[in-house]
Amino acid sequence: MLQVQGLRYRAGNFALQEVSLDIEAGEYFALLGPTGSGKTLLIQNICGLIRADGGSILIEGRDVTRLAPRMRDIGYVPQDYGLFPHLNVERNVVFGLRARGVPMREARERIRGLVETLQLGRLLNRSTRGLSGGERQKVALARALAIRPKLLMLDEPVSALDESIRQTVCAELCRLQRELRIATVHVTHSFEEALAVSDRAGIMREGRLVQTGPMSQLMRRPADEGIARFLRIENIFRGRAISAHPGGTIVEAGGRRIAVPGQRTGEVVFMIRPTDVEVSPASEEIEARGENAFVGELAAITERGAYSRLEFNAGITIVTYAIPGRAHCVFETGGKYLMTLPREAIHVFDNPMP
Amino acid sequence: MRKRMFGSSGRDERKEMTAAGPRIHPLSVISMTFVFVFIAIVVALIAADLSYIGLGDVSAALAAPEIRAAIRLSAVTSLATLLLVALFGAPTGYALSRYRFPGRGIADTIVDMPIVLPPLIIGVSLLVFFQTDPGKWIETHGLKFVYTRKGIVLCQFLCSVSYAIRAAKASFDSDNQKLETLALTLGCTPMQAFRMVALPLARNGIVAGAILAWAHAVGIFGPLMVFAGCVRMKTEVLPTAIYLELSVGRIETALAIALLMLALAACMLAAIHRLAPGKRW
Repeated sequence: MLQVQGLRYRAGNFALQEVSLDIEAGEYFALLGPTGSGKTLLIQNICGLIRADGGSILIEGRDVTRLAPRMRDIGYVPQDYGLFPHLNVERNVVFGLRARGVPMREARERIRGLVETLQLGRLLNRSTRGLSGGERQKVALARALAIRPKLLMLDEPVSALDESIRQTVCAELCRLQRELRIATVHVTHSFEEALAVSDRAGIMREGRLVQTGPMSQLMRRPADEGIARFLRIENIFRGRAISAHPGGTIVEAGGRRIAVPGQRTGEVVFMIRPTDVEVSPASEEIEARGENAFVGELAAITERGAYSRLEFNAGITIVTYAIPGRAHCVFETGGKYLMTLPREAIHVFDNPMP
Repeated sequence: MRKRMFGSSGRDERKEMTAAGPRIHPLSVISMTFVFVFIAIVVALIAADLSYIGLGDVSAALAAPEIRAAIRLSAVTSLATLLLVALFGAPTGYALSRYRFPGRGIADTIVDMPIVLPPLIIGVSLLVFFQTDPGKWIETHGLKFVYTRKGIVLCQFLCSVSYAIRAAKASFDSDNQKLETLALTLGCTPMQAFRMVALPLARNGIVAGAILAWAHAVGIFGPLMVFAGCVRMKTEVLPTAIYLELSVGRIETALAIALLMLALAACMLAAIHRLAPGKRW
């Protein structure tokens, strides 16, 4: 559907460097990255709002790199939605059709289904000035979809909305995308948002697309420590390989010996997601004979709304999460607990330093 | 006295934000004193004019054929100037606002020159230009400007167009350029994006700038005397009529014409403030 190959663009001291990306038809793709990583520049290049310095952009096999934005068939929703303040809601929605010379009556007909799907009927004659954030987003979305684009680009579509409605809106976006089966690129700096909406995601850092894949794979197998930290994975350890082990390597970290998968030598950086850590009441016996089982003290409990973050000190600091009332044991600060780090859940970074 | 603070977005856009604490403080007292002093001077001048003449003087002035001709000529020439100014202001202001080209800084300065240049110099320069070969060529090919009504329009245009360009540029600068580029993704050509987005958004500023230029053009006097002359019933406009009346000692008639122009200027300013709220020149 969309193929970006070796895209280059320089803006002052910042540059997009050889970005390559493939998006399948009907796919919901999240473009993730911290602020200033080049996400918006990349989609502006794809939309043709800025001229790429090199590389190519293909949509359905057609090279659009040098084509004007209107020739690319891309529906673009900017971060601030960019509603035209001098037009009412209906005129905003039909704007693209009118620009293509469609008479007003026919344009109204064409947007009818979209207006129903997005429940915009009661807003059509309203000015855009008094609309709420969610309403503005729907109008911008309807305007972008009215031209029946081949590709939909959403630049941080929910970042301007209240925290309380973001999840609902993300679910709405997902439903709409599944219904219309339109390839969508959703730019965000929130991995929770990407997790909620996307089939696949790409992570950008300093103008490079550093990893792409399904969200579950990115969460379990981040390419380097920087990506893991961006994805807020907390259990990242540094150690030194001390001996081989059947099917793995024994690594010493913080005075503990931990079995990690694969044959490793020298310094080893590895991680385990907090949700993969198993916690049970303290048992010296299991600690002695179990693999990667450590008894440690519960150092801190932090309430996070639906769950609690538990921080244990077992020579190394291990973090896990517990849902109050659903845990296997009662957690008290200062108490002793047994933590098990399943070897198959441990991911060793091949290139630890980004 | 409320001090307007930083704006807010959304539905509270029109609400004035005032800081807590006393509303009357040394800064507000000093700045408001200047406002009142200025208003007092202007009101005193108008009151002096009004006390000097009666309603009869105004109706007598309006009845005089040469004054009526001057009013007519002022209206026709300044409206023609308005048309030209509007035609020039929007595209020039747009180009200066949007495009980066070699010599843009110089172009920007040249556009502002008629504002800082004494108007008389424009009249003299025009007179000199039409003595040069290109000027003579224009004159001999059907466009006679020197001492003609066309010359009045040319003079008014050159003296006032900068105001319209400046206002249009400020308007295009402040309107959101992102909306125009967004229109390109929705299927617009650059010309359509200009017509459907940039122009409507900058409309109030452009119109207000053109009206300001018009008001300026109506009042031009010096360069007209030099370039278009001051012949009664032929090239006499309102400002030159005031000069001619004063030169023959008819102060009442001159003041009556002045008050007519004052009323006209008040209407213009009211229109500007209505069209571009928040913008003041």
